[in-house]
Amino acid sequence: MAVSVAAEWSAIANRYYRKQEIYRMAWHNVELSGHKVACARFGGMIAIIRDDTKIVRLRSEPARPKLLIFRSSGLLVASITWDRPGGRLIAMGWSDEEILHCVMQDGSVFRYDVHGKLLPDKVWFGQECWDQGIMECIIWGNGIVCLTEANAVFCIPDLGSPQFVKLTQLTLEDPPHCMAIIEPQHTVSGSVEVLLAVESTVMVVDGGSIQDQGTTIGPLGKMVASPNGSYVACFTHDGRLLVVTSDFSKTISEFDTQSALPPEQLIWCGMDSVLLYSDDSVLMVGPYGDWTKYTYDEPVVLIPECDGVRILSNTFMEFLQRVPDTTVSIFSIGSTSPGAMLYDAYDHFAKRNAKADESIRMVGSSIPDAVEACIDAAGQEFRMELQDTLMRAAVYGRTFCRRFSKTRIRETCKTLRILNGVRDPNVGIPLTLQQLKVLTLPVLIERLVNEHKHLLAIRMSEYMGLSPETVVVHWAGAMITAATSVPDPELCNLLLEKLKMYSVSYAAIAAHAYRNGRRTLAALLLEHEPRSSEQVPLLTSMGEEEKALGKAIKSGDTDLVYFTLFHLWQKKSPSEFTRAVQDKPLARNLFIAYARQNEPDVLKKFFASIGQLHRVGELLLWEAWAQSKNPVTRQGSPLQGPRIRLIEEAQRLFSHSKEHDFEAKACDEQARLLKIQHELEAKTGKAIFVDTSVSDTIRTCIVLKNHREAQRIRVEFKVVPDKRFYWLKILALAYIKDWDALEKFSKERRPPVGFKPFVEACLQEGQTSEALKYIQKLSDPEEKAEAYAQAGMAKEAAEVAAQAKDSEILGRLKLTFGQSTTAAALFDSIRDRLSLQGG
Amino acid sequence: MAQLPPLENAPINLIGLRKEAQLDLVEALDSMRGRKLLVLDPKLSGPLTLIVQISLLKEHGVENLSHLSGDPIQSDCTNVIYIVRPHLTLMKLIAAQIQHDKRNQQERQYSLYFMPRRSTACEKVLEAEGVHGGITFGEYRMFPIPFDDDVLSLEHELVLKELQVDGDPTSLWDLALTINNLQSRFGLIPNVKGKGDAAKKVFSIMKKMQEEQALTTPEGQPEIDTLILLDRQVDLVTPMCSQLTYEGLVDEFLNINNGCVELDPAILGGDKKVKVPLNSSDKLYRDLRDLNFGVVGGILREKAASMKQDYTDVKTTNQEFSDLKKFVKKMHALPEMTRHIDISQYLTTFTRKRSFMSRLIMEQTLVEGQEYDICYEYIEEMINKQEPLISVLRLLVILSVTNNGLQKKHFDYFRFVELLQSYGWENLFFINDLERAGLLRKQESKSNWLTLKRGLRLVVSDTDDSNPKDISYAFSGYAPLSIRLVQHALHASGWRGIEDMMKLLPGATFEERQVKNRAKFKREKEKKSSVDGRRALVLVVFIGGVTFAEISALRFLSSQESMKHDVIVLTTKLCNGTSFLQSLQTNPLGG
Repeated sequence: MAVSVAAEWSAIANRYYRKQEIYRMAWHNVELSGHKVACARFGGMIAIIRDDTKIVRLRSEPARPKLLIFRSSGLLVASITWDRPGGRLIAMGWSDEEILHCVMQDGSVFRYDVHGKLLPDKVWFGQECWDQGIMECIIWGNGIVCLTEANAVFCIPDLGSPQFVKLTQLTLEDPPHCMAIIEPQHTVSGSVEVLLAVESTVMVVDGGSIQDQGTTIGPLGKMVASPNGSYVACFTHDGRLLVVTSDFSKTISEFDTQSALPPEQLIWCGMDSVLLYSDDSVLMVGPYGDWTKYTYDEPVVLIPECDGVRILSNTFMEFLQRVPDTTVSIFSIGSTSPGAMLYDAYDHFAKRNAKADESIRMVGSSIPDAVEACIDAAGQEFRMELQDTLMRAAVYGRTFCRRFSKTRIRETCKTLRILNGVRDPNVGIPLTLQQLKVLTLPVLIERLVNEHKHLLAIRMSEYMGLSPETVVVHWAGAMITAATSVPDPELCNLLLEKLKMYSVSYAAIAAHAYRNGRRTLAALLLEHEPRSSEQVPLLTSMGEEEKALGKAIKSGDTDLVYFTLFHLWQKKSPSEFTRAVQDKPLARNLFIAYARQNEPDVLKKFFASIGQLHRVGELLLWEAWAQSKNPVTRQGSPLQGPRIRLIEEAQRLFSHSKEHDFEAKACDEQARLLKIQHELEAKTGKAIFVDTSVSDTIRTCIVLKNHREAQRIRVEFKVVPDKRFYWLKILALAYIKDWDALEKFSKERRPPVGFKPFVEACLQEGQTSEALKYIQKLSDPEEKAEAYAQAGMAKEAAEVAAQAKDSEILGRLKLTFGQSTTAAALFDSIRDRLSLQGG
Repeated sequence: MAQLPPLENAPINLIGLRKEAQLDLVEALDSMRGRKLLVLDPKLSGPLTLIVQISLLKEHGVENLSHLSGDPIQSDCTNVIYIVRPHLTLMKLIAAQIQHDKRNQQERQYSLYFMPRRSTACEKVLEAEGVHGGITFGEYRMFPIPFDDDVLSLEHELVLKELQVDGDPTSLWDLALTINNLQSRFGLIPNVKGKGDAAKKVFSIMKKMQEEQALTTPEGQPEIDTLILLDRQVDLVTPMCSQLTYEGLVDEFLNINNGCVELDPAILGGDKKVKVPLNSSDKLYRDLRDLNFGVVGGILREKAASMKQDYTDVKTTNQEFSDLKKFVKKMHALPEMTRHIDISQYLTTFTRKRSFMSRLIMEQTLVEGQEYDICYEYIEEMINKQEPLISVLRLLVILSVTNNGLQKKHFDYFRFVELLQSYGWENLFFINDLERAGLLRKQESKSNWLTLKRGLRLVVSDTDDSNPKDISYAFSGYAPLSIRLVQHALHASGWRGIEDMMKLLPGATFEERQVKNRAKFKREKEKKSSVDGRRALVLVVFIGGVTFAEISALRFLSSQESMKHDVIVLTTKLCNGTSFLQSLQTNPLGG
């Protein structure tokens, strides 16, 4: 058995290559010759269309060409009649997203998904390109470069947002012999590099700049960059194949093909060999000039992959690759590597042969390496029987290991199941382990989903522990797109039946339904979305602002409420807006909070329209207040006219309802007060009255010894109570230390506030002697004792207290006087010790 | 520069929490390359000093730090990072700065980080001002700021105003997110109790968030056992009362801001102001902070005396080295000791005043709820003397809340005649806002304060301050209603035992269990019953702010023998009666 595996290999220098058939093509009557063929990488789709530059014999086909899309196994996915305008089809290629790009002679680009559906967005290379016409074009995973008949180079660097740029305009007599690119991920500048073979040299267009590499290896008939972009394979006019570094500074190897005709296809196989296809034969040239040749009796197409080349013919698909090292170590003839020994031992074991023991002993301590080799080799295999045998050998070997990670075996089994699953001809994605690693599982699942293999995709997601959300959402979207004739409620139930098994974004599905013009369905689905932050924006964009507002309010998230409010505000008329907001307290409050700061006039209208005139009044008052605080308006208009008018207007609004009597009255008083204060300022020439209270104004008048005005204000605002007037006057007189006036005032009549305020006012100004006059007049012994104490007259205080026989007062007085001295002594002693410590 | 609180003895890993906040901040800073100017919301810079040290900012390219104001940017840095709360008023300031740069052809890169999250309304303002396009936006996630081993705060001072006056519940959403973040760190909290409409709302948002986005909680037993949500509206009386614990008094007279108190040279000596951090890293403070101030003097005296004794012992007798070492160790505590002696001495100059005593008597009379006339008289005299408005209002609010509003004649009289005429008409807005927030109202129905007082034992007269038996020690006779509710919640019979009282208090009452996975839960419960030596941890959340005296009372509760719970506090703001009322005072230019 071991012999038969290695027998299929061919050796080039010191390495082996193998070519295995992956599929017998399921198609019939497909003739690759005379057709343009585009194959997506990573085992993706195949697109075929008749090449109208070549003469083809039509059998029973219609005269109009057809664009056919197949899986890699040859199953037909789509067939569409080609009727695109734009002249000749120059090139066709798949992007990484598996979208087919067809570049036309006039620079327009048509894009198809895997189901042959034309994508609506317009992509083109611009007017200049349209005028010049495209001559040659290269499509890579994420971009397109094209060369026009007038030798200009254009590029679409990102197919995600297809904007074209003009890279350069060459002035040449003859057009370039050939063109190649180095993909942006491999260049220093990060943008695509275009190589143009001009005369005997090569020009490099990189970003905006153009550079002559100054080499003389040309003229070149064909060029192609290696998969990692560091080398370029060139076919010269005299039939030599050169491999040079990508800056053309150094030639790595040279091989004479002895044929001056450039090959039809020139392609890298992995990193170290180059394939040339011409005249039904594929020549493979290794790094040291060794070569091998495969001949075919039908035309083939070579499809580069990251670890080999797929070869497509009319009837089969093959995969050509360098044999992986572990496979070589196990299967090469006469190998004695641990892996080979283990495989051999298992072979005996399976045949119930006792030699198994002998073989396993020979492996000895390298058993873990042997197991690892078998696992690795199993991963590299296409044939399931061989995978199986290798894995069994690995499991057999593991029993002799002391410690070997179980997960390693389990993971490989899982991955193999995935690979075998997608390699099935019905799915038709012939991935290798290496390719899967590069492509990554999520991308693979995305591809499956795009190809409408939802069931497989979701099984795989669950099997590998990935979230099924993307698959489910896509499935639902596809359902909605497809089921145009199913009524909304029915379709909704159909979807929900499956959706409720997963936790998915209903909003995303609803958005899809909405884009497909199924508003009702979108609304029905949205009801099931638990996340308000997803639900509300979509409802808003669907024009269901009021519903959105309701949901936002329910969520308790004020930011969502604001979000919908602003939408409503922009879209609806003021009266509609008012109606929508009016009976929703939260929405109304938030709008008011925002508008108070930023749209005071809108807010006034809003309040007026809902009949809340007093709130308008508040706003006017607020403005009046703001004017008093704003230094600019304060200085700018010493006259209080505008403010008084605002206040009077506010008063008018307040007086509309009885509830706001209080505010109306306050406005009235304030307006009058401002007028008086203004007069006072004019009279006294001092700007100290405006914006003080009634009490302050009276006090200021007294301090200025203007008793007449003080009295006048008191009368004007007759509500100033007697007691307060007394307090104001006492404190003001004490403040200006007008002791005579104070005494006179105390004798005017028996003060309604008693004499205590006089005592306090004097003591506050530190006038004990003045205070004494009034202390004597105090009648309440407690107050009297307290007052003496405050004046610092302990003896008198004690006497009064003793007279009153009030032990409680006595006790407190003792505390006030007594404790402070002992406390002070204590603090002193601690201070002493502190200074000792410091010294 | 103030040091970060050590947090080593926290019952849950608060250091990790702070570390994450630091990393998030660093990430925000690193989003801009090179040297940059950091412009902070003035309200945020204080809290941020509890999360990072300035040196860390410098390490990440912050060349200058400034506060957002109406002035243009004064710096040649071409990179500017703003970190602000999403307040509409701040947006105009930012827009003005950027427009100023544009006019002067100053080219800069601007990044704007919203804490805790981006805001459509704010961005709308920037859009209207035409600067939205030039700014890169980001979010600096909300973290509760650890103030001490058992105190977390969001330091969001406008919660009351936004919620009760503007009707904007954004802060509740933020709080719910914060609690859910704590749960995803420390486990789903099995027991949830709450009182008040805001509490109910926060919990329902928490549940909705969990529904929308599955909460990933760590395996194993949750670290926090019970969550108690309290809406400040339930108890508006307590914050208005003068706090009588040591920490509370320091806050009342000296203002504790961001865990620090700024002391005048007149208090400590020296020639400039000193910022002193106040947290449990100061061992003496840890012992003193929760005591009634009445006993603090005595304890300090005792400590000083014992030190003096040690000193004489060292001087006179021949001691072993180990004894000497002990003595020297004790001496290290001396600077702290003198500092607290200085502070206490300063505080006594206030507490000895007759006015302070009579104010306390008045507060006591109000919570007793028996006699109102002398209170009206007292307040009137305060106004006549033109005492500070806030000070007058603190008493008026107690009067209004305990009495279910002021009688109509008093209401109009105080509102109009007294307050407006004495303090200026612009206070009309302030008074209206107080009314909207339920702090000052017209009486419409009879008050049930007396029933509450009796049913919840809110006035406990025979207290021995040096050896207290009840939380009422923190206010010398008044047991804070909020903490009494916590006490009952943790009692075996829960709030069901005081159902009648709960009904009298405003807002919804709820007690629920949160279960992650029923089967598992059962298993865990069985396990739990077998190994239960652990003290359960309770997270008490105050929506709208909490005072230091209340926190002290909570610590007192958890230190009681019968109590099997440790308590950790999360509040929207650390406040006192004055700052609580000030948060409602508006300025026509700045919100």
